[in-house]
This record gives sequence, structure tokens and C-alpha cells, in this order.
Amino acid sequence: MSSLLDREHTVAPPGFNRFLVPPAAIAVHLAIGQAYAFSTFNLPLTKLIGLKASAPGDWDLKEVGWIFSIAIAVLGSSAALFGRWVERAGPRKSMFTAALCFGGGFLLSAVGIHRHELWLLYLGYGVLGGCGLGIGYISPVSTLIKWFPDRPGMATGMAIMGFGGGALIAAPLSVILMDHFKTPTSSGVLETFATMGVIYFMYMMIGVFTVRVPAADWKPAGWVAPAQPRKLVTSAQVAVDAAWRTPQFWLLWVVLCMNVTAGIGVIGQASPMIQEIFSGKVTPAAAAGFVGLLSLFNMGGRFIWASTSDYIGRRNTYMVFFLLGIALYALVPTLGHLGEKGLFVAAFCIILSMYGGGFATIPAYLRDMFGTYQVGAIHGRLLTAWSVAGVLGPVLVNYIRQYQIDSGVPKAQAYSVTMYIMCGLLLVGFLCNLAMRAVDEKHHQPGSGRS
Amino acid sequence: MKGRLLVMWLAVGIPLLWGIARTLENALKLFQ
Repeated sequence: MSSLLDREHTVAPPGFNRFLVPPAAIAVHLAIGQAYAFSTFNLPLTKLIGLKASAPGDWDLKEVGWIFSIAIAVLGSSAALFGRWVERAGPRKSMFTAALCFGGGFLLSAVGIHRHELWLLYLGYGVLGGCGLGIGYISPVSTLIKWFPDRPGMATGMAIMGFGGGALIAAPLSVILMDHFKTPTSSGVLETFATMGVIYFMYMMIGVFTVRVPAADWKPAGWVAPAQPRKLVTSAQVAVDAAWRTPQFWLLWVVLCMNVTAGIGVIGQASPMIQEIFSGKVTPAAAAGFVGLLSLFNMGGRFIWASTSDYIGRRNTYMVFFLLGIALYALVPTLGHLGEKGLFVAAFCIILSMYGGGFATIPAYLRDMFGTYQVGAIHGRLLTAWSVAGVLGPVLVNYIRQYQIDSGVPKAQAYSVTMYIMCGLLLVGFLCNLAMRAVDEKHHQPGSGRS
Repeated sequence: MKGRLLVMWLAVGIPLLWGIARTLENALKLFQ
């Protein structure tokens, strides 16, 4: 079994169609993207004993909320820790491991629900599932970049779009399964967790047994590497241990962190935010529609922006994210005061498309700066910026809103200061992106080329 | 190879389109 999963057994035969690799990567990302829809389980998990309402002994929302937080924190750290192993083991073995962890995380959590022991959910979905998220997220990245040297942005954009799309499938699927398994004595959550564990494991196997790595000397038919590489696109290779000692790695870390911070706080607070800013004009159902619309733009932006970056360059793409982001965040409070709901929604849709675009463009940016040698491992280490932003973004939005309300500011205006702070964060990202230069030759792998 | 390619894209495309349709259904409520 292990030999079937080894890198050397996944080298594509001549004539293999490279367009089979993106759906293999998307299958894995669609599965692990379920994480974004975990909140559909939050309320049902607080009523496992009481069923209709929380009863004594039931877990509270705060305790349950930690499951997702642990999973996201473990995502970042496992991507950083296992990145080099993922490069060495190859995409098939790492996708298989991710499937075992992610599916196993659901099953262990189901045991935790059965025994009503919360620590088993922290360990199951949080730690084990989080490892599946981290390994699964980075496993197809370097393979896609190697298959698509002519369009690295488009290729990784497609896979990472799958992560955004995973929530669109998982949210209604979870509700359908819970309704299906519900009985007078059970909320159906246990059975839903067990079923989803099996479904996602099987679905990820589609990716596991389809993915192939290109032969070492493979190039797309008719494609010739440009003799004069574009500015900030290297033909040299930088190892992961050297990469993270370069200023370029940390500039990109801040670029990703600022871009994610600006978007992630809005995602978490989108529903109450639009209801409070347009008080009386937006119902809870309409606010849920707003959240759905943001998810769609988050997903679509991943493919569109990453593909665009193949034409306009990675640095220019981030310049657009930061400059347009600053303009839109600065405009949002005014649109709220004027009651311009349509423009307000449009502004946030564009902001969320750039949030997704930031995630999807970063692997190709890393490839441009550090080459393809260990780009998956470098990407893994960079994802620690996501973990930091995952804490920073919601804290900024929630705490500043609360502080404003406590200081007597009307709820409709409580978000204005936050929006201006987001502009400041994006300005920091803009300056880091502006400072980007080619990596010094002393960091290159010997004989690997020049910047 | 072409048949396999079609099957693979359908395997990821159909669930994704289903999710998008369900989300759009919800999103329309914003403008009703």
C-alpha cells in the first residue's frame, strides 16, 4: 500500500493529460473547505442533551467555539511543520494522510459526541482534523505549479478556489444530514459527523488516486521558458530553510497577514454588521443571504485574481488588492451613512474577492520569488500568517465595535473606526509589497540559476 | 483519457454547482 502512495509511483506516464491534476486538487480542497462551514454545528452541539434547548450538562457556545479555533490554529502550524515532509513524500501520500486525518477527525469527534466528552472533539476535529486541513491545503500546491509553469496562478487558484467552495457545499449538506438523522431522541449530529467523516474520506480518495507528478524533464507541449524572465520571477531555487531567513519571506508573511486580517474579521461579523448598519432594513434572512454572497465572491475571487496575476504579475495584483481595498474600506462608512445598501454590498463583495484572491495568488508569488524546489514547504510556513490573522481580524472587528458601543456611539456607526483601521493595515501590506525585491543570490541552491 | 477527464471535472463540478445554487438561493433574499 505504501509503495502505491510513494512519489516515485506517481510519476505521470507520457501522454498524461495535465488537466486531470486540477480536479484531483480541487477534490481535496472541496473536502477540507468544509471547515469554513463548521459553525452550522455550533448550535446543535449545545443541545445534545436538551435537544430543543440547552439543558444542564450541555456544552455552551463558547466551549464549542474552541473546536473551530483549534482546527484553524493547527492548520497553520501543521502546514508549517509538515511542509518539508509533504515535498518529500509527494502529493499522493500527503493527500492520503490528509484524508485519514480529516475523516478520522470527524469519526473521533463522533465518538466524543456519543460519550459527551468535549475534549474528544478538540482532539478529533480540532487537532487531528486540523492536521488534515494543513497537510491537505498544501499537498497539491507544488505539484500544480510544476504541471503549469506557464500558468501557475491559474492552477493554484483553481485548487484554492475549491477550499472556498467547500463551505458552500458543506453548509447545506450538514443541515440535510442532520434533518435526515434527527429522531425524537437524537439531534442527528453524531450520525452526521460519522457520515461526513466517511463521505469526505472517500471523496478525497478521488484526488489521491488521480494526482500525478510530472517527470523531471517534462514541459508543456510547445512551451519554452522565457529567455528573459519577468521582473521578480526567478529561475533560481531557494530551499525552505534558506527562504525563511530572507526578508522577502517575512515581507510576504506580512502581505498575507494584512490581506487576510482585513477580510476575515468581516466574514465573522458580516451578518450582525449589515443588520446594525442598515437597522430595520435588513432582516436576519437577508443578512444570511449577504453572508452567502460574500462566500461566493470569496470563492470566485480565488480563481479570477490568481489567473489575472499570470498576466499582470504577482506584485501588481497585490498592489490592486491593497489600493482598491483601502479605497473601499474608506468608502464603506459613508455608504452606510447614506443608506446605499446596494453599493455597500458591492464594496464588500469586491473586498471578499480580494481576500480569497490573496490566498490563491500567494503560492505563485512564492514560486516567483523562491522557485519550485520547495515551494510547498515554504507555503506551509507562510500559512502561519493565516493563524495570526485568524485571531487578529475578528478581535479587531469585535472588540473595537464593542468599545465604540460602550462609549455611546450608535450601533450603526460602531464599525466606522474599524474600517479606517483596516485601511491602515492594508497600507502596511501595501508598503511591504512595494519593498519586494529579488532574493539575494547567496540564498540560491548552488547551480540553480539566477534571479 | 478524455472520458476520465470529463468524469473528474463532473465529480468536482456537480457538487460545487449544487453548493453555488443553494447559496445563490439564499443570497437573493438580500434583494427581496
